[in-house]
Amino acid sequence: MGLEIKNLNKSYDGINLFRDFNLSFPEETITCILGPSGCGKTTLLNIIGKITVPDSCEFQGFDNKLFSYIFQEARLLPWKSVQGNIEFVMRSDLSASERHEQASRFIKIVNLEGFAGYYPSRLSGGMRQRVSIARAFACHSDIILMDEPLKGLDLALKQNMIRWFSEIWKADRRTVIFVTHDVDEALLFGKEIVVLSKLPAQIVAHEKIEIPAENRQLEDPFFKKLKQKLVKALDA
Amino acid sequence: MKISFAKKHFIGIASVVTMLLIWKIMAIYFDSSIIVPHPEDTLITVIKLMSNAGFLKIASATIIRGLVGFIISAILGIAIGILAGINTEFNTFISPILVTIRSIPVIALILLALIWFNSGTVPIFIAMLTMFPFICTNVVEGIRSVDQDLIEMARFYRISKQKIIFEVYIPAIIPFIISGTSSAMGIGWRAIIIGEVLSQPRYGIGTSMQSAQIFLNVEAVIAWTLIAILISSVFEKIIRWCEVKMVTWK
Repeated sequence: MGLEIKNLNKSYDGINLFRDFNLSFPEETITCILGPSGCGKTTLLNIIGKITVPDSCEFQGFDNKLFSYIFQEARLLPWKSVQGNIEFVMRSDLSASERHEQASRFIKIVNLEGFAGYYPSRLSGGMRQRVSIARAFACHSDIILMDEPLKGLDLALKQNMIRWFSEIWKADRRTVIFVTHDVDEALLFGKEIVVLSKLPAQIVAHEKIEIPAENRQLEDPFFKKLKQKLVKALDA
Repeated sequence: MKISFAKKHFIGIASVVTMLLIWKIMAIYFDSSIIVPHPEDTLITVIKLMSNAGFLKIASATIIRGLVGFIISAILGIAIGILAGINTEFNTFISPILVTIRSIPVIALILLALIWFNSGTVPIFIAMLTMFPFICTNVVEGIRSVDQDLIEMARFYRISKQKIIFEVYIPAIIPFIISGTSSAMGIGWRAIIIGEVLSQPRYGIGTSMQSAQIFLNVEAVIAWTLIAILISSVFEKIIRWCEVKMVTWK
């Protein structure tokens, strides 16, 4: 069964962000929500994550779902090491050795072996964001919400981050909802791409990409054509 | 601009030498040990005092008073500081009290304490009242400076309130507690010695200073002052050592 948002209405300061908005997310898939800045993407993510309360909305399939969140900034505790930051969000009923073992496994997947004892101040921006990805997966959850976590990173680093993310994602295939305003990120990352219009947000395009993330090349004619289509939808 | 360790060390020594030089010039100028004794004579007095059988009793009495005052202030300061940092209403309630305590002249507190307490407790009471507002204010500032994004992250990951306090708030305020402790200790030692001078407990650096002053033994007054400075700087070093050990992540 998929996840569905039905008849979402949300206004803020007299501005209609969503009016009778409907969207469904297939489970165990990465759905990318693409939209211009200020179109309500983060609000949508926060409504899904129960941080923001909608004026009205019907949620289907979200009952008892647990969330992990990857923020724009890594949001790591500066006084905890990489290992400590990951263990911080893990279930308290796990034993210390189980927590340590699981955290180490995720550290290895995001290629940060040897940095487990490092404090965030000694890591680069990209490394910190990798810790935040590992943390999201180490947390016991059903859905991972991502709010433009690659913002500000250069294309090469973005591609690497997506590779690490895909690597870790393949292990347990959690449902991922990812918002961005960057078409390249959406093309590199999303299995489903939903394009939102300006306010009040409406779905103006919905695409599916079957090629695995690690094999995607933005120079391929398929991606070039799809990019044009998405850019056109965004500008509409 | 960063100064190298060797250069910093050299500048520090130069500063001490300058102070000694000014002291020596004054001693030569006044040519009277009752007004300004010579630094070398005072140093000999320091060594004599320190090798005296009763020295440990005197110094430890002052140190214990300082530590008791500090422990009480730290417990109260941290607990009230955390409450005031988290709860705005409580902060509004406690702020005027802190400002009042800070503004009361130390001498007024001592005069009242002399009426209320016995001579050994007066310096502890004074130390507590002078140190507590510093620690409390720094803790409030520490709590206020906690990155709200981290709190949001912790809440989003369903972290319990207790864990947020112990693993987010407390580590975040440790640098503030250390800085508050450093300022509080600096002022606290002075307050304890003033308290001892006026309340005259049986043992204490302040008591010994007062006795020396009565007999116009200026050498001993300055020697006890130097010992008090030494004790204060040892504690300052201990605080800095704790900072290095506890705040390894910066």
